[in-house]
Amino acid sequence: MSGVPSRARWGLVLLVGLGVLSLVAGRLFPDTLASTCPLGVDPMRPDRTVCELAFGGLWVSLAVGLCAGGLATLIGLLVAAVARLLGGAWEQTILRGVDAVFALPDVLVVMVLQLAGQSLADAGHSGGLGPFGLMVASLALVGWAGPARMFRNRLATLEGQEFIAAARALGGGGTHILRVHLWPALRPFALAVFLSRLPTAILTESTVSFFGIARMEPMSLGRYLGTSYAALIYEGGSRVVLPAWALLVLLVLGASLASQALSASPRKAT
Amino acid sequence: MAMLPLTTESDAKRQVSPELAASYKRDLGIGEPLGFLRPWEKLWRGERLGTSAQGITGDELARKLSGSVGVGLMALPLALAWALGFALVRTQWRKGRWAALGDIVPALAFGTPVFIPALLFAPAVVERGHMLPELTAALVTSLWPGIFLGTLVGDALETELSRDYVRTALGKGLSPGTVLRRHVLPNVLPALLDAVGPVATTLLAGSFAAERVLGLPYFGQLYVLAVLNKQVAVVVVATTTFASLLVVVSLGVEVLRHVVDPRSREARA
Repeated sequence: MSGVPSRARWGLVLLVGLGVLSLVAGRLFPDTLASTCPLGVDPMRPDRTVCELAFGGLWVSLAVGLCAGGLATLIGLLVAAVARLLGGAWEQTILRGVDAVFALPDVLVVMVLQLAGQSLADAGHSGGLGPFGLMVASLALVGWAGPARMFRNRLATLEGQEFIAAARALGGGGTHILRVHLWPALRPFALAVFLSRLPTAILTESTVSFFGIARMEPMSLGRYLGTSYAALIYEGGSRVVLPAWALLVLLVLGASLASQALSASPRKAT
Repeated sequence: MAMLPLTTESDAKRQVSPELAASYKRDLGIGEPLGFLRPWEKLWRGERLGTSAQGITGDELARKLSGSVGVGLMALPLALAWALGFALVRTQWRKGRWAALGDIVPALAFGTPVFIPALLFAPAVVERGHMLPELTAALVTSLWPGIFLGTLVGDALETELSRDYVRTALGKGLSPGTVLRRHVLPNVLPALLDAVGPVATTLLAGSFAAERVLGLPYFGQLYVLAVLNKQVAVVVVATTTFASLLVVVSLGVEVLRHVVDPRSREARA
């Protein structure tokens, strides 16, 4: 951790802390959380406390974000690597396709993919994907274009450096250079890209679930808010919305701090 | 206290019945040559799209889209105002002990999905009318894009203010306001225009959530209801229309940039 910038360290500590908290409070000891919750019960579900729903939702949202962010980063990395290996007109064609996907609004496309996936599932062709898998796949299919652009640009920059020219002069092939020389230099950047996808995936999932389109079970933060919003018409109903909002903001704050700090000053390759 | 317009749906409504599956085939012309054009043909003939009374005609679609664009157009100046305000405040914060707020405020704005402030405002504005829900939708939609623009403008402003030509202009006796207006802002404008395209997309897409929560009967509401009710033909037409609108907006921003920024003209030449 000594090479990690302090802001990135704070961001990672916040992220990991929230993850551990949601695991402990939301999954391992929900009864303790329920009995000690100072926010009381959810008016729309008198059998559950606000803390149970918020921390349970945080765990699901975080899991969706981690899986979707990871998958989108992986797809983006593969597309960028293939584009750089092919080069020339192929690379330009791939990049134009990436730009086209990048220009699409995430929420809209995820809604369409959810509609398509749910219709297939209802017709008995789910392909083994449950609501969680469908959401992760939808988010990854929408979110890979940003990482692909970032990885492609970083690879192009790295390939202009002298040690790559030396490796090429010594007869190193494209895949060898990518695996042995470029990947170690790219790893911290890949972590930054992954962290930058994490909040986007969580927020998109929250919005789509809030609309009632995704069938996330157990409930994510977005679905929890979408089904409990009516509590706002009661006196003090904002206590249902505010904790979930605070958790979302903290999650995004942690991921943003870590991502920005890591992409601004990546560690030296060892 | 007002009732909120958002509704949840039952799982029963989600099941695709054989009739609905047949209607998918019919509405989308699956298996027929150029069948994907069928929803557009129906729309062109003035027929109602969709499988029930919740469908839509071309005129209604245009009316709803113009409503959403109107909300987006109201949100754009608000976003620019947020951007300018935040850029100036952030430049001040950088010099003092509030520097961390320059990172925290964008994270706070980004971490707040549009539907959360909309939910908090909804009980107070939904039944008031007089354009208040529309204004609220524009306000909540403009928050994150405004702060995002402000961050970019703040960075560009700081870079330009540290350049030699600014020092020269100040040394020749121009007032700081004149230097900012006549020399610095024209150089900041391209950075702003670069971001306006994605921001316009965010404003239009962000208005979906605000419209849904605030009960505005525009395009966003139509889109979400079409997806919830599995009105596939409506979704196809609405998605294509919205994507075309985004292309037009991006093209408009590119043209504006070409007109405003001489460097982009030189780069192309």
